Amino acid sequence: MPILKPDELDIISISAEQTRRMGIRLGKLLSPGDVVCLSGDMGAGKTVFAAGIGQGWGTTHQVTSPTFNLVHAHRRQADHVIFYHLDCYRLERPSDADSIGLDDILDGDGVVVFEWPERIQPVLPKHRLWITFRVLDETRRNLIFQGNSPRYVDLITQFRESTYGV
Amino acid sequence: MTIILGIETSCDETAAAVVIDGKTIASNVVASQIDLHAQYGGVFPELASRAHVESISPVIEQALRDAGIQLDQVDAIAVTRGPGLVGSLLVGINYAKGLALASDKPLLGVNHLEGHIYSLWLTQPFQEVVFPVVILIVSGGHTELILMRGHGQYQRLGGTLDDAAGEAFDKVGRLLELPFPGGPHIQQAAVNGNPTAYNFPRAKRDNSYDFSFSGLKTAVMREVTVQPSAAARKGHLTSEKRAQLRTDVSVNDVAASFQEALVEILVEKTARAAKEFGATEIFMAGGVSANQRLRQRMKKDSELPVRYPPLSLCTDNAAMIAAAAYFRYQHILKQDSPHSQLNMDVVTMWGLDKLSHHIADTSQP
Repeated sequence: MPILKPDELDIISISAEQTRRMGIRLGKLLSPGDVVCLSGDMGAGKTVFAAGIGQGWGTTHQVTSPTFNLVHAHRRQADHVIFYHLDCYRLERPSDADSIGLDDILDGDGVVVFEWPERIQPVLPKHRLWITFRVLDETRRNLIFQGNSPRYVDLITQFRESTYGV
Repeated sequence: MTIILGIETSCDETAAAVVIDGKTIASNVVASQIDLHAQYGGVFPELASRAHVESISPVIEQALRDAGIQLDQVDAIAVTRGPGLVGSLLVGINYAKGLALASDKPLLGVNHLEGHIYSLWLTQPFQEVVFPVVILIVSGGHTELILMRGHGQYQRLGGTLDDAAGEAFDKVGRLLELPFPGGPHIQQAAVNGNPTAYNFPRAKRDNSYDFSFSGLKTAVMREVTVQPSAAARKGHLTSEKRAQLRTDVSVNDVAASFQEALVEILVEKTARAAKEFGATEIFMAGGVSANQRLRQRMKKDSELPVRYPPLSLCTDNAAMIAAAAYFRYQHILKQDSPHSQLNMDVVTMWGLDKLSHHIADTSQP
């Protein structure tokens, strides 16, 4: 098996700051309609990464944790496209997703980032970029990017190129 | 004499109040949904909207009854426009619009955070405020540090970069398997705990006035939980894949140490800002300002007078919305009678820095 699989990228971040920078890189590459799932335990870096995505993508507001409100919608100045940032931790079952208006969010042309996506796995869009965060030690995190459609494989390729130049 | 009926539904409390001249509470009614949301470990938007729909009419009726007035004696109706949950805000705004139309009263939209600030003007006995003051607004959804140089003159010095202070309390409460909301339960557990048992990380000693509680939360998690084994992580059950609370930790000690760290972060930045900007006083508002340890430490460490509202006005209420509306049109816009905002919209994300003191119309901030 080749070490560089096109649909997967396995990287280690040595700090929260680096995790954030990775998010910024990804945020710059996202297009309307893209879906990104951030999976990992509390404290694994999901919100830090999402804040980076928002920054790279161009939100004007500081991207903060959506845990309290479940959904944050940030509108980008340039083209008014919305960046939706969802936290599904408190959703007990997939049907709860209705209550936060998930259908409307996914029908729109915004960028959608999920934290705790596994909570609503059955109702997630079939195609998505899935990033798994694992805690290695106090500051280091393992990030595994997986794409399951040509769009997301392409996104991983672009991300790899912007990070490593290859 | 100006009588304002305030309505607040930005989150999980359905509230209505009657306030006279922005300072005297004639009535203050709050229907709390805490029990409803406890089972979800937090506010649940759709449930919240439905509960607002059920309670708003009786809550407003009771507020008028308690004040001993009829709707036609009211001079204006004030309602929270944002920030908050869109579904919850809409219930209050639409009801207020209907009420304003039917009674031909002017309608005023109020920023929820400005409401929290004016909860300080409702504390009795009221002492005149000498500006500038530094204000810390801390709640489940907000952590904001504001310099107030006069009525309506806000400079946002900083805010949270990740979790709100109240949210950090909720998350650590969850780690410690304490009930929702985390704040009061952690404070309770901390009473019998040792605040120096754990040395959790404090704020970075940088020059900014922004807060970050995510690292503190992660440090608590590392200390009190066992990571799932690699085998369990690969399994299918989500519950087994998650970190579990260690059986040998003292919940009281962790609660006390965490609370101490969080309080220190809040106090250090607020006190430094007060000093830098020559504040005459420090004001605190919002649900977390009810925390006893925060109140003690703020007084002790800042060496400035510290004001905070009584418990009933720390959490969301409508009296503060009526008070903010009064000051906004009387002192900030200097209008003899308020301009009605019947066609206003909800503004879910609305910082105080985006609050113009010239415009009170319906445009999006």
